[in-house]
Amino acid sequence: MIFAFDIVILVFLVIAAIIALSVKDLLSASMIFGIYGFLICLLWAEMGAVDVAFTEAAVGAGISAVLMIATVFNTKRKSSD
Amino acid sequence: MSLFIDIISWIAILGGSFFAITGAIGLFRFPDFYSRTHAAGKGDTLSSFLVILGFAVYQLKDFESFSHDWPVLLVILKLLAVSVFIFMTSPTSTHALMDAGWEDKVKPEIGEGKPNHLNDDCGKF
Amino acid sequence: MRLSQIFATIAVVITGCILLYGVSDFPGFGDPHSPANAGVPGSESVSQYFITESYGDTKVPNLVTSVLADYRGYDTMFETVVIFAAGMAIFAILGAVGGGGQPREQSEEPFFVNGDHSRIIVGTTCRLLVPVIQLFALYVIGHGHYSPGGGFQGGVILAASFIIIALSSNLNAALRRLSEANYLRIACIGILIYAGFGVLCQVLEGNFLDYGLLQPVLLTDGPEMARSHSMLGVEIGVAFTVTAIMFAIYANLSSRGTLRDGL
Repeated sequence: MIFAFDIVILVFLVIAAIIALSVKDLLSASMIFGIYGFLICLLWAEMGAVDVAFTEAAVGAGISAVLMIATVFNTKRKSSD
Repeated sequence: MSLFIDIISWIAILGGSFFAITGAIGLFRFPDFYSRTHAAGKGDTLSSFLVILGFAVYQLKDFESFSHDWPVLLVILKLLAVSVFIFMTSPTSTHALMDAGWEDKVKPEIGEGKPNHLNDDCGKF
Repeated sequence: MRLSQIFATIAVVITGCILLYGVSDFPGFGDPHSPANAGVPGSESVSQYFITESYGDTKVPNLVTSVLADYRGYDTMFETVVIFAAGMAIFAILGAVGGGGQPREQSEEPFFVNGDHSRIIVGTTCRLLVPVIQLFALYVIGHGHYSPGGGFQGGVILAASFIIIALSSNLNAALRRLSEANYLRIACIGILIYAGFGVLCQVLEGNFLDYGLLQPVLLTDGPEMARSHSMLGVEIGVAFTVTAIMFAIYANLSSRGTLRDGL
C-alpha cells in the first residue's frame, strides 16, 4: 500500500465519478464509467486484492461498459436531466 | 552487467514515457479528429511497447543460470506476449475509431489553399 | 438553482460529513483484531485462521478461492443463482416488450465480410484474438485455485469472446456458435453442477457442500485433495452459468429482445 499512489488514484476516481454523473451524453457517461472501473481495478490491485481487481477488470470495465453502450444505442442518447 | 541492464531499461522506460506525453500533447493540440486519433494511437502503441520492453529488460537482472532462474524467462515471455497483443489491438481500435468517424461524415480540416479531395469523399466509402 | 436543489445539496453535504466522521472509528487497514475478524476458537482471528490453516484444510494455494468456494460455498452458490435470476428477468422483460418469440431469420452472411474494406481489418484482428481470449479464459477457470481467477472471471472473459464475435461481425454469427437454446441450457447446467456437488455430499450422509466426503467418489489421496478437486468442479459450474448469462444479456439488450440484427 503506497500512500501517494492511493491519493492519486482516489482523486482521479472522484473526478471520473463526478464527470460520469454530470455529463449529458449517455454514451460518454458509459465510457467514463469504464474509466472509473479501471481506476477501481488499479486501486484494488495496488491494495493487494488481485482476485477482486481481476473481477473488476473483467466485469466492471469490460462487460458492463459493453452492456451499457448496447442499452444506450437502443434507447435515447441524451440524458433528460 | 547490472548497471548496463539498468541503463538500457531506464532508456526504454523513459523513451516510452516521452512518447506517451507527446501522444497526449498531440491529442490536445492537433486541429481535427483524424490527426488527434493518429497522435493518440501511434503514441500509445509505441509507448506501451517501450515501457513493457523496459520492464522485460529489467527482469534480466535476476537471471543468472538457466536451470535455477527459468521463471524469469517466463515473466519476460509473458511481458512480450502482452506487447504483441497491444501491437495487434491498439492500431485496430484506432482504425475502427477513425473508420466510424469517416462513416459519420466527420470532415478533416485542411489548410487554406491546399488541394482538398477529402471533403467531397467523406462518408462515401 | 432551485430551492429543492439547495436542500438536496445541504442534505448530501451533512450526510457526507457524518459518514466521514464515522470513518475515524474504523479499524486500520488489514487489522487482524477488527470486529469483523474476531471470534474463532483455536485461532487469533478469522483472517489469521484462513492465512495459516486454509492450505492444510483444502490444499489450495489461492486462499481467496478456498474461502469463496469452500468455507462460504453456500454463499457463492446463491451468487450464481442471483446472476441466473437476473438473466431470466432480463429475458422476461425484453421478451415481453420487444418482439421476442418470433422466428429468427438466418442471414447467410459469412462470419467476417471479406470484401468490405471497413470490416476486413477489425474482422481479421478479432479472428486472430478470439481463440487466444478463449484459451486464456479456460486457463483462468482451470487455474483459479492456484493463481488469481476462477469461475466468475473466466466466465466473463469467455462471454467477452462471444461478444467480440457479435461486435466485429453481427449477432447472428455469435448466435450460430452459442444459440438461444444452448445458452439457456448451459446456464441451467452450470447451477445443476454446483448444486449437484452439494447434493452428492448429502447423499454420502454429510452436510450440503461438505466436499471432504467426496473422497471415495473422486478417488483422491485424502479429503483435502477431494476439496481441491470439488472446488475446480464448482468453479466450472459457475463459469458455465456466467458465460451463458453474460452473453445472453448482451444478445437480448443489443437487439431489444428480438435476437435479430443486434448492433
